[in-house]
Amino acid sequence: MPEAGALEVVGLGRAYDAAGRRVVALERVDLALTAGSFTAVVGRSGCGKTTLLRLLAGLVEPSAGRIAYAGGRRPKVGCVFQEPRLMPWLTVAGNVGFGLVGRLAKAEAAARVAAALDLVGLAAFAEARPDALSGGMAQRVAIARALVLEPELLLLDEPFAALDAFTRRALQGELTDIWLAGRPTVVFVTHDVEEAVLLGETVVELAAGRLVGRRPVDLAFPRDPTDPAVAAHRRAVLDRLMQPDPASRPEPETLP
Amino acid sequence: MTFRSAAVGSTLFVVLGLAWWLAARIRLVEPFLLPPPAVVLDAAWGLAADGTLARHVLVSLKRVVVGFTLAVLVAVPVALVFGLSRGVRRVAEPPLEFLRQLPPLALVPLFILWLGIGEAQKVGIILFASFFPVFLGVSGGIAGVDPKLVEVGRVCGLGRLAIARRIVLPAALPSLVIGLRIGLGYSWRALVGAELVASSAGLGYLIVDAENLARTDIVLVGVLVIGILGLAADHLARLAVRRAAPWIRDDAGLADA
Repeated sequence: MPEAGALEVVGLGRAYDAAGRRVVALERVDLALTAGSFTAVVGRSGCGKTTLLRLLAGLVEPSAGRIAYAGGRRPKVGCVFQEPRLMPWLTVAGNVGFGLVGRLAKAEAAARVAAALDLVGLAAFAEARPDALSGGMAQRVAIARALVLEPELLLLDEPFAALDAFTRRALQGELTDIWLAGRPTVVFVTHDVEEAVLLGETVVELAAGRLVGRRPVDLAFPRDPTDPAVAAHRRAVLDRLMQPDPASRPEPETLP
Repeated sequence: MTFRSAAVGSTLFVVLGLAWWLAARIRLVEPFLLPPPAVVLDAAWGLAADGTLARHVLVSLKRVVVGFTLAVLVAVPVALVFGLSRGVRRVAEPPLEFLRQLPPLALVPLFILWLGIGEAQKVGIILFASFFPVFLGVSGGIAGVDPKLVEVGRVCGLGRLAIARRIVLPAALPSLVIGLRIGLGYSWRALVGAELVASSAGLGYLIVDAENLARTDIVLVGVLVIGILGLAADHLARLAVRRAAPWIRDDAGLADA
C-alpha cells in the first residue's frame, strides 16, 4: 500500500465499561481500504459503525487490534460529524479555517478557505454567523472545514442524517463530486442503505459490532436511486442486515 | 440603549420616587426616618458642589477597580488550570470551597490585623469577595463546554493548550460574563462593608459618618449613589460584552417582545 490514505484495519476491537458491565462495541474487524477509495459503512444504530469511525479518527483507542497506515504514517484526516459542530463565536470563514490557524500563512489560509467555500457553494456567506445558517448550509460549512485540511482520509459520520430529503440528495451529489475531484480515501458511515449504495464503491455491512459483509457496487457515478441495479444492491444489503444476529447476542450500545 | 427603552427601564424608579414623595408629603413616616426626596436631593447637591461626593466616589471606584481586576486576573487562570487538570482540582477544590463559605465581612478583623487599615485591606476584601463568582462562572463555563466541539479541535490535531485557548475559553465566555457581572456586584457590596468598619474616605465612610451625625439624608445619598454606580458599571459591562461577543444571547428566545 504505497499511497497516502490507504490503510488496513486488523482485528480491530473496542470495548468499554458501562455501569460495571463490559460492552463490546466493535469486535475483530478486518478491512483494507485502498487509496482514493470510497467505502460506505452501513448498519443499524448500535452496530458499532460510529465506533469504527471514531477509531479511524483517533478519537478513541482500540482495545484490540490495530490500524496500519500506508507508509507507516498517519494520513491527514478530515472529519465530518452528524451535527455541524460549528463554533458559534466564529464566522463561517473562521469555522472553515479553524484547523489552518497557526499552520499556514494568513493569506494562504484565506485563499484555501475561499476555495473550500466556493466548492460547497457558500462563498457569499463567508462572513455570516453559524446561527444564521440552515441545517444544510451548516453541514456544508462542516464539510468545507474538513476539506480545507486537504485530507488524505475523509471520515464522515452520518453527515446527512439530520437533513431533509431534498438537501440530503443535493449534498450526496456534491460529496461524490468532491471525492471524484480530489480522490481522498473516504469512509462514510450511514444507517441509510440506499445512501450507502448510492455513494460507496464498496458497501461494508456491520451488525452487532462485527463486519458481516462487504459488497462492491460496480456502478458509474453519479448514481440514480431509480436505477434497478441500485435497487438490487439495496435489497441485497438489506437482506444481509435483516438476517438474525450472527453471534445472537444482545446489540451493544454505541459509544457516547 | 434607545430613549424608549431607557424610559421603560426607569418607569418603576419614577413610581417609587413618587411614592416616596407622597409618603413624606402626607407624613406617613417621620422625616428623620425617611427624609423627603427634596431634602435628599438638596444634600446631594451640597455634597456634589463642594467636591465631597466626587472625592468619596473616586476613592471607592479606585478600590473596586483594583480589587475586581485582581480578582479576575487570579480567578480566570485558576479556573482554567482546574479545568485542565483533574489532579489539581482534587487537591485544591476542598480548601477553596472552605474559603468560599466565609462571608467577606467576617474576615474584616483578620484583614485589618494582617493588612492594616489602609488600601490593602479594602482591596483584599474586594478581591476575596469577587474572586468566587468569577471563578465559579469560569469553572461552570468550562464544565459546560460541549465535548463535541472539543472533538472538532482534536480531529484538527490541536493540542490541549490550543483547545483550551481556541475552544474552551470562547465557549465558556457566556458563563464567564455572568461570573464577571456577579463578581462586580459583589465587589461593590464588599467595598462598602470594608469602608463601614475602618475608613476615612469612600462611600461606605460617607454613610457611616452621616449615621453618626444623624444625617439620614446623607445616608440616603450614599445609598443612592452606590446603587446608581453599580447599575452603570453593570450596564457598561453588558455593553462591552454585546460589542465584543455578539453571539451571546441575553435570553433563551422565550421572552415576549
